[in-house]
Amino acid sequence: MSSDQDHLKETDTEARFEFKKEENAAVKSDKGLTEEVIRMISEDKDEPDWMLERRLRALEQYQNMPMPSGWPGMPDLSELDVEEIIPYIRPDVDKREGVDDWTELPDDIKDTFDKLGIPEAEKNALSGVGAQYESEVVYQNMQEQWEEKGVIFCNMDKAVQDHPELVKEHFMTTCVPPSDNKFAALHGAVWSGGSFVYVPEDVTVEMPVQAYFRMNSEGMGQFEHTLIIAEEGSEVHYIEGCSAPKYGTHNLHSGGVEVFVGEDAHVQYSTVQNWSKNTFNLNTKRAICEAGGTMEWVSGSMGSKATMLYPCTILKGRGATDTHITIAFAGEGQDIDTGAKVYHNAPDTSSTIESKSISKDGGRTNYRGLVHIADGAENSSTAVECDALMFDNESTSDTMPYMEIEESKVDVAHEATVGKIGDEDIFYLQSRGLDDDDAKKMIVAGFIEPITEELPIEYAVELNRLIELEMEGSLG
Amino acid sequence: MSAGTQVHANLTEEQVREISGDLDEPDWLLETRLEALEALEELDMPDVIKTPGREWTNLHELDFESLVDPLNAAENKDQVGPDEADVLSWADAVQEHEELLQEHFGSIVDTQENYLTALSTALFSTGTVIYVPEGVDAEDVTVRTEQNSRSLFNYTLVVTEESSSVTILERQSTGEEAEEQYYSGVVEVAAGENSYVQYGSLQNLSEEAYNFTVKRGVADTYATIDWIEGNLGTQLTKTEVSTTLSGDSSETQIVGAFYGHNDQHFDLDAKVWHRAEHTTADLVTRGVTDDVARSVYEGVQDVGADAWDTSSYQRENTLMLSDESEADASPKLIINNHDTEASHSATVGQIDAEDLFYMTSRGVDPRSARNMLVEGFFVPVLEEIDVDELRDDLEELIGARLRQRD
Repeated sequence: MSSDQDHLKETDTEARFEFKKEENAAVKSDKGLTEEVIRMISEDKDEPDWMLERRLRALEQYQNMPMPSGWPGMPDLSELDVEEIIPYIRPDVDKREGVDDWTELPDDIKDTFDKLGIPEAEKNALSGVGAQYESEVVYQNMQEQWEEKGVIFCNMDKAVQDHPELVKEHFMTTCVPPSDNKFAALHGAVWSGGSFVYVPEDVTVEMPVQAYFRMNSEGMGQFEHTLIIAEEGSEVHYIEGCSAPKYGTHNLHSGGVEVFVGEDAHVQYSTVQNWSKNTFNLNTKRAICEAGGTMEWVSGSMGSKATMLYPCTILKGRGATDTHITIAFAGEGQDIDTGAKVYHNAPDTSSTIESKSISKDGGRTNYRGLVHIADGAENSSTAVECDALMFDNESTSDTMPYMEIEESKVDVAHEATVGKIGDEDIFYLQSRGLDDDDAKKMIVAGFIEPITEELPIEYAVELNRLIELEMEGSLG
Repeated sequence: MSAGTQVHANLTEEQVREISGDLDEPDWLLETRLEALEALEELDMPDVIKTPGREWTNLHELDFESLVDPLNAAENKDQVGPDEADVLSWADAVQEHEELLQEHFGSIVDTQENYLTALSTALFSTGTVIYVPEGVDAEDVTVRTEQNSRSLFNYTLVVTEESSSVTILERQSTGEEAEEQYYSGVVEVAAGENSYVQYGSLQNLSEEAYNFTVKRGVADTYATIDWIEGNLGTQLTKTEVSTTLSGDSSETQIVGAFYGHNDQHFDLDAKVWHRAEHTTADLVTRGVTDDVARSVYEGVQDVGADAWDTSSYQRENTLMLSDESEADASPKLIINNHDTEASHSATVGQIDAEDLFYMTSRGVDPRSARNMLVEGFFVPVLEEIDVDELRDDLEELIGARLRQRD
């Protein structure tokens, strides 16, 4: 491909992600975290008492918990001041639950998502789309054929109203309790929006379900909650994408994801994250997998100033399987600390973790992993593979896996390699007529191919475009 | 006072003065000791691996006040070396090599790095100084320490001048057993330009004993430091072996072997700091855990921003012989220079059932088959040991421990 075409594409990609909109808020909370703010959020959502109580309990836990500290090489969170973050902004949409016809959206929101290509993606390949703007889901649609089979895909606030029993049982109880960590507690107090997915027994949703999260306002926090319940024998693929423009002050994204994988069910959860480079991205994502179930995490972490994210799977039932495929890209000023956690708590469970990272222009990537094999988890196996690619000498790449093995009848293997882009590879491609920049892009594209292969085409294209954008001018 | 450290009601300045006085030490050494004693109040235990909800080695549980008996140290020690090199007891070194001590003592292992190094600095009463002059090849330096008292604090300094070499074999064992004993050892190795140091250690203390050891070396240009670290004894060992590759083209190898049975707990660190160009490191550790024994392994390969053209490799393999044993492994890579080839791998597993079946089907009884497979598991590590004596001893101890098993 010629570099002129490239240039056009990159400009286009940049325009897609970096534009900003005037703030258009119907309801906006004060900065900081107080009981009043929590009550105001809950009231604005017309929530039942039990949810308000859970929020208040989480707030109390948040206030009593220290910030994470003492982890070797953990990202610097000193610039994050939660008290300066606006936890809740409801955009001015006609219906609080969001609309299900794209044309009903206010022009500025529609325009935003148009630029991000959301309706396009839905039209082409997806069974349902939800789009969150600031704190609320503004658009939600599910194809009828799935609704008829009993599949529920709605925003989380609506789920609290319409499916209270399911939510009451699963929301931040056994999977991600607020006590798990400080940011899970924060999330439990101020969560807003997000997706609820319920797939009944033996139903296979053949097309991916998609949600897109966009932060537009300056200094806000986004705390969407995603709850996926896949009943026995069912199958679903959920994809989320996230982005935000860059502002002078820091944004905070602290989402919560809970996935319940029933017996012999199969859930794939894919993320492409491209928060702006002043966002602190501190998430808690966890799946509980029953006997014979399969959980697959596919994630691309591109944006943010600092990310701390370790999607976790608890293999609870015999023969459960987990797969993690992650790619992290850290450019200038970014610290992407991400990895995977797997708890093998039953016999015959298996997990594989494949992690790839690219760091350039002083960026730092870190793989931080934990594989725990409990006593009694006989015949379990795990294989962890980490590969890091470094572009220049200002960048850093670390690997910190932890393996806790309490059972002898196991097969545990970890491998990691770090290397630079080979001069020979570049030379070879240059000798075939590519310029240095294109040669590097091509090598990186090859390096991340195992990830993009797992994503639907729109996301693979987006991930590739994002990486191309990041790679621009990386001649070094 | 930081959380969890202990202040010794029974440790006094007078005791430290007495130890230093008995050894006829110069004032600067006494001062260093007294400062370390005073710092105990402020210092915490050495870092151990922490993951959510778990601190893998609990040093805070140890009652150092009752374990430490500073004025009643007793040991049997052999310190033997060739004539061309100086192999001196600490008391002799204080008299003969004060300048050398002043230059190197505490320069590699910070005397106040943590609670246990400070305790060791304040109270050590025995040690060995090995000085190899320029161009001298000193083969077969042997240091054997048999502990005969409740506590023993040992210090070892190795200094090699340009283009010299030395092979050191150090062994620790227990003579008279008390109920609980504490052995503390600090080893500093300063390897001069183009010199070669091989330091083999075989720790076979009583299984009632506690052991804290830190062995650290700094390698100058073209120098090589090779460590062999064998751990068999004690109920709890916390040990670190590390090399700083501070000179261009310096190299290091850290070979570890351990065998934990009963309720032994080994916390083993192998670390390399690449701080210069064209440096090479190879870290290989293999070990067995049996019964309810536990191993905690942390390996660090840290490549600094100025360490161009670095090669760094690490392997750690644990074989679990019982259901109740535990193994934890964390091989870390910290890479700040992109002109690096680095890799690490770790595995945990059991004896391969097919191998066992194959051997028993050939008429080997299951017990012998298992023992042969375990011995075979250690071969890649044993092969890396150049010193015949150390290799043979380690092999024999592993064999003996296996035969103890039903």
